[in-house]
Amino acid sequence: MNDSRVITVESIEKSFPPALSGWRALLQPVAKATETALSGVSFSVGAGEAVALMGPNGAGKSTLLRILATLIIPTRGRATLGGFDVEGKSAEARKQFGYHTGGDEGFYSRLTARANLTFFASMNNITRERAAERIARISEWMGLGHDLDRQVRTLSTGMTHRLGLARAMLHEPGILLLDEPTRSLDPIAASEFRRLLKDEIVRREGTTLLFASHTPREVEEIADRVVLLDEGRVVANETPQRLCASAGTRTLDEAIGRLVRHPVHAESVQ
Amino acid sequence: MSVAGNLRKLMAFFHRDFAIARGYRGALVLETFEALFGVATYYYLSLFVQSPELTNALPAGSNYFAFALVGFAFFDYLNVSIDAFDTSLNEAMQNRTLEALLVTQTPLPLILAGSAIYPFVTLALRTCVYLAWAALLFGFAPRSANWPGAAAVLLASVLAFSGLGVLSASYQILFKRGNPAKWIVLGVSGLLGGMMYPISVLPRPLQLVAHLIPVTYSLEGMRAALLDSAGWNRIGPSVLALLAFAAILLPLSFSVFAWALNRTRVTGTLTHI
Repeated sequence: MNDSRVITVESIEKSFPPALSGWRALLQPVAKATETALSGVSFSVGAGEAVALMGPNGAGKSTLLRILATLIIPTRGRATLGGFDVEGKSAEARKQFGYHTGGDEGFYSRLTARANLTFFASMNNITRERAAERIARISEWMGLGHDLDRQVRTLSTGMTHRLGLARAMLHEPGILLLDEPTRSLDPIAASEFRRLLKDEIVRREGTTLLFASHTPREVEEIADRVVLLDEGRVVANETPQRLCASAGTRTLDEAIGRLVRHPVHAESVQ
Repeated sequence: MSVAGNLRKLMAFFHRDFAIARGYRGALVLETFEALFGVATYYYLSLFVQSPELTNALPAGSNYFAFALVGFAFFDYLNVSIDAFDTSLNEAMQNRTLEALLVTQTPLPLILAGSAIYPFVTLALRTCVYLAWAALLFGFAPRSANWPGAAAVLLASVLAFSGLGVLSASYQILFKRGNPAKWIVLGVSGLLGGMMYPISVLPRPLQLVAHLIPVTYSLEGMRAALLDSAGWNRIGPSVLALLAFAAILLPLSFSVFAWALNRTRVTGTLTHI
């Protein structure tokens, strides 16, 4: 295995059972998985790379991120983070990554930002002293310093997003998994958030970034490479520039529209 | 992860829940007075139902008020044991913190155990408040109680009841709502466990069923220790029965929970509401 590959996804397949209702809902836990979300997805991400997962709704981006985050078990195939299998070595794999979804939920709203970060730091085996240091450092470069002692329910959506990112970075993970990181942010906050990701987290910290996005501008600003998914398959795996060239378009938006409407396998694009 | 590390995490859960509860100070004060209303209700009920037949059926030297008070106060341990795990799970699903917790380096069983600490600590305080109100205002006087015996019964009860709580949480993560296991356990225990009346008043077949549920032994042991100053020779069988329940229920419930957890990670419904 090439040591520089910190995320590997090998022939991942995932099917879910259909949602059952009425008395049949009692059979949900053992229902047969018939609805395919991912079909043989393979790619890898090198150390320090920023890779975007793109594709229409239902393409399988969030499912793939949730598999990598050890929240879902794949039906077939294998994925590793920092060399650890996300299914067989999930506890070790969890040490390798930070995970943040683009929502502004997932915090104890009556606690301060600092108390939330301290609590989640202890869940990641970080001592109180070390947590205090990390919180001070991260909050400084994320511009959270003045708001650390405010209750989370009083923070703006943009600040809560930053808090989510700060939480994901607390244990100094080498890999960051983000699901639509600028969802629900206004254009100015989104732009600032993208700068934070690219300049501070990827360039300065050297963190490997895999993020799902629907925003071509965001992808062009942050990503070194795009993995384009459609109906659970990889249809392209390229730099944004080469993706446009392959599709014969001027913008990433147009390229995605063309490739998704006329899916081709990653190999042929490459 | 070391034992000390896990203890630090359990304390972090307690700090979290205590800090959240401090945000609702009014509720804490109201709960203290709610306990007074509960105790007073049982006191006046006991004045109404006093009879020689009833007195004969109660532990020696006690009255119906003391009998009902202990039943009412310690039945809460079953309530909280069953409720604490799935309530914490439910809250984490509702406020979307479950996903954030699950990607940390803390396994779900420890998350559940940690989330149950605060409810148990407040329950212990609530029990003290019940007993204090009863002693201050209504003449409840457990002066010669066997306190170490009562503590042993309590500990064994919490272990046995927690097995039922983990089973209830297993149902919760699989089906999310309408937990029948909880209502069946609480309903049967409330009816047959001897909370409000001695099980000797039940028909013989129901008395046999009563001996198949842990709360019966818990209340028998607790009343013997608190109201009858019983020694270990009388409390011991209740403690042993509760430990036997715990020895069966805890491994069984953790196996069921592990299976349920795995299924929800397969079906992708772990964090669904």
